[in-house]
Amino acid sequence: MTTAPPATPSTGGGDTNAGPPLTGGASVPARRRGHTARYVVVGLVLVGALAFVVAKGLGSALDFYLPADQAVAQKATLGTKTFNLEGVVAPGSIRSTPGGVDFAVTAGTTRLAVHNTGSPPQLFQADIPVIAVGHFDGDHFASDQILVKHSSTYKAEHPTRVTAPNGSSR
Amino acid sequence: MTDDQSSSTGTIPHPQTSVAPNTGVTLAPVQSSRARMTEYIIGILALVGTVATVWLGLWVTPPDKVQGDLVRLVYIHPGVAWVALYLAFGLAAVSSLLYLWPRTRSLFWDRLAAASVEVGVVFNVCTLVSGSIWGKPTWGVWWVWDARLTLTAVLLIMFLGYMALRRVPAEPEVRARRSAFVALFAAVDVPLVHFSVNWWNTLHQGATVLNANLSPQIHGSMAWTLLLGFVALTLVFVWMLLVRFRIGVLEDWLADNELDLALAERQSEGAGLSDKSPTNQGGAA
Repeated sequence: MTTAPPATPSTGGGDTNAGPPLTGGASVPARRRGHTARYVVVGLVLVGALAFVVAKGLGSALDFYLPADQAVAQKATLGTKTFNLEGVVAPGSIRSTPGGVDFAVTAGTTRLAVHNTGSPPQLFQADIPVIAVGHFDGDHFASDQILVKHSSTYKAEHPTRVTAPNGSSR
Repeated sequence: MTDDQSSSTGTIPHPQTSVAPNTGVTLAPVQSSRARMTEYIIGILALVGTVATVWLGLWVTPPDKVQGDLVRLVYIHPGVAWVALYLAFGLAAVSSLLYLWPRTRSLFWDRLAAASVEVGVVFNVCTLVSGSIWGKPTWGVWWVWDARLTLTAVLLIMFLGYMALRRVPAEPEVRARRSAFVALFAAVDVPLVHFSVNWWNTLHQGATVLNANLSPQIHGSMAWTLLLGFVALTLVFVWMLLVRFRIGVLEDWLADNELDLALAERQSEGAGLSDKSPTNQGGAA
């Protein structure tokens, strides 16, 4: 950095007037080092480009679910194909059935009824985002698996509760 | 009798012991007392921090409003992932870059990258296992192929490949160079893992602390315990890294001196036999 100050500003093309510096035989390893540095830079650019392509090119192929509003909009295209539907469990909509549970999910202004076969996970409750694995069946969504997609926010169950020295809480 | 025993049992001298000066074997690198003390103090701090995190996480912090007691894995899982992805693989990438860069090229960076990857792989496995244990009761499944989980698994596989590559016999410089390229390539997956929850629809929740607004979505004693967990696991990483790096130095020393050590051993055996042979022959006769 300090041993080779630039003779000219790096903005123009005035870097050829001085010709190659006469560094003698020592130029061979120096040139090799320069080549390696160039390979590193080129490699990094290629890797960065690859990452960009992966991120953008794969696009929705890496999406794990389809939000309920988008799913309803694409209902004709989806047909009876199995996919992962996401939505927030509508309060007051949960009803146990002999084979599982019925409920509704909302996404934006869309509301969709879900008939699930099998028992849902222990965190299944109103107002929680869930992913239902299944397909459209008439005007509702028939699923056989529910995954709970909890948020990344953590709050104490009883924020004002204090623990006494004897271990009891009130 | 005593000399005979010492020569026959000392097949490979312990790296920290000195070797007889007439064997021509380079003395093993010995850890300085200061380095040993640093390693010891960091180890103690890591242990204390981890125990304190477990105590706070299991007994002091309150249950979560939604997850109840299941939330207690939050004090371990994100910290373990933080070490694996950002510290270990991040340090491996930087070290690899510094090795490839001609002005900073030194096998020190190669050793540091190798040690960092090895510790990172341990933490990567812990990330997947703890996440899976947390996922079963919360999500309802042990595993799904969403972008976050899949890319984390890919990361593990790539760095396992890095470790396998280092086992391929080669000159140290050749091994260091090819390993550095692989480490840099694999490390590209780290930002993909980080941003996967923003770029794609995933079952895995978004970041609690390192989110877009950098405003932690966790409060009170839960937040402090989470922070302590990050610090404790970082100390565990540093301690493991120091130990693994030291072992790496000794391994390299052993590899460099393997032939000399074998020759020295053979010579000492030969000397022992020639000393004994007249006696033995006399006894037989």
